[in-house]
Amino acid sequence: MRNARQRRILMIATAGVLISAAAGVFVASSATARAGTRTAARMAVQNGAQSDAQNSSQRASSHRVAASRVVTDEVGRRVEISTEVKRIVTLAPNLTETVYALGLEGLLVADTNYCDTPPAAKLKPHVGDPQNPSLESIVALQPDLVLATTSINRLETADALKQLGIAVYTTDPQTVRGMLDSVIHMAQAMGAEKQGTELVARMQQRLDAVQSRLSDRPMVHVLFVVWDQPLMTIGQNTFIADALRWAGAESVVLSKQKWPRLSLEEVVRLQPDYLVFTSDHGPVATTLSDLRARPGWRDLDAVETGHVVNMSEEAVRPSPGLVDAIEQLAHDVHPEAFAEKSETGNAKLETAAVPARVGKIGQECTPCAR
Amino acid sequence: MRPLTPRRVAWICAGLGAVLLAAAVVSLRMGAYPISVTDIVRTLFSGVIGRWDDIPSGYRSVVFEIRLPRILLGILVGASLSTAGCGFQALLRNPLADPYVLGVSSGAALGAIISLIAAPHTPGAIQLAAFAGAAATTAAVYFLGRRGGQLDSATLLLAGIVAASFLSAIIMFLMTTLSGRDLRGMAFWLMGDLGSTLPTNPLPWFEGLFLVFVLAAGAIYATSSDLNLILTGEQEARHLGVNVHRVKLVVYISASVLTGLAVSVSGTIGYVGLLVPHVMRMMFGTDYRLLIPTSAIGGAILVVLADTLARSIVSPTELPVGAMTALAGAPVFIYLMRRRVR
Repeated sequence: MRNARQRRILMIATAGVLISAAAGVFVASSATARAGTRTAARMAVQNGAQSDAQNSSQRASSHRVAASRVVTDEVGRRVEISTEVKRIVTLAPNLTETVYALGLEGLLVADTNYCDTPPAAKLKPHVGDPQNPSLESIVALQPDLVLATTSINRLETADALKQLGIAVYTTDPQTVRGMLDSVIHMAQAMGAEKQGTELVARMQQRLDAVQSRLSDRPMVHVLFVVWDQPLMTIGQNTFIADALRWAGAESVVLSKQKWPRLSLEEVVRLQPDYLVFTSDHGPVATTLSDLRARPGWRDLDAVETGHVVNMSEEAVRPSPGLVDAIEQLAHDVHPEAFAEKSETGNAKLETAAVPARVGKIGQECTPCAR
Repeated sequence: MRPLTPRRVAWICAGLGAVLLAAAVVSLRMGAYPISVTDIVRTLFSGVIGRWDDIPSGYRSVVFEIRLPRILLGILVGASLSTAGCGFQALLRNPLADPYVLGVSSGAALGAIISLIAAPHTPGAIQLAAFAGAAATTAAVYFLGRRGGQLDSATLLLAGIVAASFLSAIIMFLMTTLSGRDLRGMAFWLMGDLGSTLPTNPLPWFEGLFLVFVLAAGAIYATSSDLNLILTGEQEARHLGVNVHRVKLVVYISASVLTGLAVSVSGTIGYVGLLVPHVMRMMFGTDYRLLIPTSAIGGAILVVLADTLARSIVSPTELPVGAMTALAGAPVFIYLMRRRVR
């Protein structure tokens, strides 16, 4: 009797473990479920493309043997790229956007399900989600170059593609400047160095114009709301924190974590000058009237004074669209600087910054240094 | 064992109530925003008389709009879950029964999510749907847990585990495919969280929730003498004139209502309904007339303290309260399971 019971309990425990393992598998697979169905639906397109691809790849491979060069990508891997890149696959929305900004969309044979900027990118064939792209569809497309990025892709994907003999260039932009460099590197890898230099020069010019307007303005302190249920914000070393600084705004939360969770009380304590929401990041209450009705939020100084700003989600990616977002945010949080004609020159921004109330998660306030 | 008199019940409950009050005071004091106890008392006093002249708006906002609602929510959720746990343990005659372990909480969460998708702005719809999910899951687990017409302890728990993971999988599926809707984060539904957004005017909302709690918990309490008799054996209870069928129905519906109520405001917080009735049984015995009220208060104490810890040990970030209760509850579950095996 006792043994029978023990066995039964053991059975329950085993079953429990098995079931939770199954649930784990389900989580992983549910993420790719969409990708799977779409891949199936796209088979026809790909099959059509394949015969094309085979033709061109035969040509390309003869090139590849004769003319290829070895570069080191931003994560320090050696990549052998054909000198004549004709077929590109991008694995993240910001990369797709960069390809379009360089005017190279003609070479783009596929992107991911997440690529929505510019809208035309949605019509390209997709290879799945950035986190879990279908390697098979990528191989079938026979690209000369696959572009990946550390912020959303997994390095395992790049490894696997390399094993399959496909050139993968991985970018690793950590700052706005890093993004500009990445654009140049990507343009070089795609054999479009001139377009890259021109694009970056234009972006640099616009950023400089914002900087000169803000040169005598103090930094405003903002809370960047990644998610409000539960409340989640950005750490100080994130790409977004750097982008905010270019717009003359400093995140009130200093944290080494990338996406720290925050208690609402801490926001009441810090009293940021502005709240910055992103519109597409899930359940975020974006309208001021929403916030004015919410207990806890409605007494924040920023809500009372109407200092609530929206950034679109595409804008906070490390891509050329970010410059638009920085300009927009600078207008929103420093309206005075853009109201009158600024006559100051190219003075640097950091001299103006004196943070008054900057909160800490993990470490003490450091002056807003770029 | 001393005889159970109404007087003894009242004394014990008053004692536990004092502990709850102390827990609430501690909770009111802890947090990222520094306020001294005197300032809290002054703020509370100003709130009662309705004058805010010399109180900084930060104090008012932190005390009345952040900490107090959370404590009230913790009391409501803790009391509901442990009363429901008591009910399920009596109904299924299994001391390891608990809304979370049996998958009833996951059923309620699924119901709540479906109502948020189908009818996002209907007041009360989420509670109703959570109740429906809880009731349906309880019924399913009950029938799956029977073997040869008899409720079998191991089969029942297995059915609960299966139901919980199956329903969690559906929740994950819905959350993944329907992202961008006005849903709370996945962690909320799978781990539980008391930091939820309150409605614009929280007072009537709280009144409504507490009214439902009092009705459902009162219904279970009204059956407590009958539950004592049923515990000695259904046959015997029937002979003593207990309408076993009706008692079971009342407990089944009330426990589902309580689970739905708790889950609709806080997600799935685990192990409260398991942990608290057991501790209370060890302290005060198995008489349901005492067990139900003490469990309700004990559950409130546990959740208020767990939430205080959850939001202060890693301040100014927060942990979900369900992580804290699971840390405490899972070892107790294993202990109880092993003790039963021996």
